[in-house]
Amino acid sequence: MAAALNEKGTAVPPTLVTPPSPSSSASSSILSTVASPFTSLATRFGNWKAGFNLPNPGSVENLQREVKQTHLTNFIFDGARADLTKGLSVDPAFQVTHSFSFGAQSAPSSYHFSAVYANANLLLQGGVGDDGNLNGRLNRQWSSNNLTKVQASLTSSAQAQNMIILEHDYTGSDYSINFKAMNPSPINGTGIYIGNALQSVTKNLALGLETLYQKPTPDMDEFTTSYLLKYTGDRKDWIATAQLQPAGILQATYWQKLSDKVEVAADLQLIAAPQRREAITTLGAKYDFRMATFRAQVDSTGKVSALLEQKYGPSFAFLFAGEIDHLKNAAKVGVGVMIESSSLTPEEMGYPPQGYPPQA
Amino acid sequence: MWSDENKERISKAIDVGRTIVHYGWIPFIIYVGYTRSNPQPSLIKLISPLA
Repeated sequence: MAAALNEKGTAVPPTLVTPPSPSSSASSSILSTVASPFTSLATRFGNWKAGFNLPNPGSVENLQREVKQTHLTNFIFDGARADLTKGLSVDPAFQVTHSFSFGAQSAPSSYHFSAVYANANLLLQGGVGDDGNLNGRLNRQWSSNNLTKVQASLTSSAQAQNMIILEHDYTGSDYSINFKAMNPSPINGTGIYIGNALQSVTKNLALGLETLYQKPTPDMDEFTTSYLLKYTGDRKDWIATAQLQPAGILQATYWQKLSDKVEVAADLQLIAAPQRREAITTLGAKYDFRMATFRAQVDSTGKVSALLEQKYGPSFAFLFAGEIDHLKNAAKVGVGVMIESSSLTPEEMGYPPQGYPPQA
Repeated sequence: MWSDENKERISKAIDVGRTIVHYGWIPFIIYVGYTRSNPQPSLIKLISPLA
């Protein structure tokens, strides 16, 4: 994480992971004279490393992105829901969404309003529920390498559940660095701080570290470091990742694109702590059809689930979700509808004028 | 590091800032989106789910 901060405001070449020199803040001539052996060493190291022509491994946050996109864990819902999205502008993008959900077993009926504004280097997103809770997000792209994100989740009731996350991403030519602070307190420094880095070692293999620094009270703190590995196939059609935490938690994933339309993914979570030993495996597949997406998933706790997203025209989609838990003898069913309307004509939205199907 | 008075001031300022963000964030996005959209939408379309 120190590296990330150094990278930001210095003249050290950006192809460096760990600038070893104290030259980071060198601006005066004396300092630069003293530091010149270090900076030239750093430049040479950077040039030497650039010679390998390694690809960027992607960020740590997106380590398991392909698996998460294939599995339906993040998409499944129960009860009935309706999302009415209204596109008001394309460039810059501006849309508002009204979401209604009812009949879910786990949550009461609710209404949620959200708005998104985005242009090339700024994203503003906000959502508010009928309970008064606000989710907000701001992403600012400073340059092609630097991205700052702020996330907030504010509740109207208990103060303890408020959450603010400040994040900065630095994307280098063959590595990525991210620094994150969750609920940092300027008064006594409490909060959770996470720094991580992922570096390409060969064309296929990337290794990384993630360090978590927890300070729940001013006089209590704790460091944990976990290790990351990502192996990408030569044609980028399969990815294997592993994440090892010192407490004895291993998460391994595998994702493969079988064809243009079919992707499969497996996820293994192993907990081998002294007081708790368990493992969960999840297998899933995703089929992309012309007007539909189908996801199916089975896991070792006895859950079988499926999700179908069927589009009727460009602005109307039906969702069907189902899950059976064989061990607990429970089932969940969900039905949803997504309607996208626009105040713009097809030409204004950037569609070609011909071949645009009439709206029902 | 901080005196007790300043600590109190900072936490007060954070509280006020949080309240402003809580009530002001969505109106702020709508304002930014409304003024910079191209073409500018009508207000009723912006707010109502049916229009």
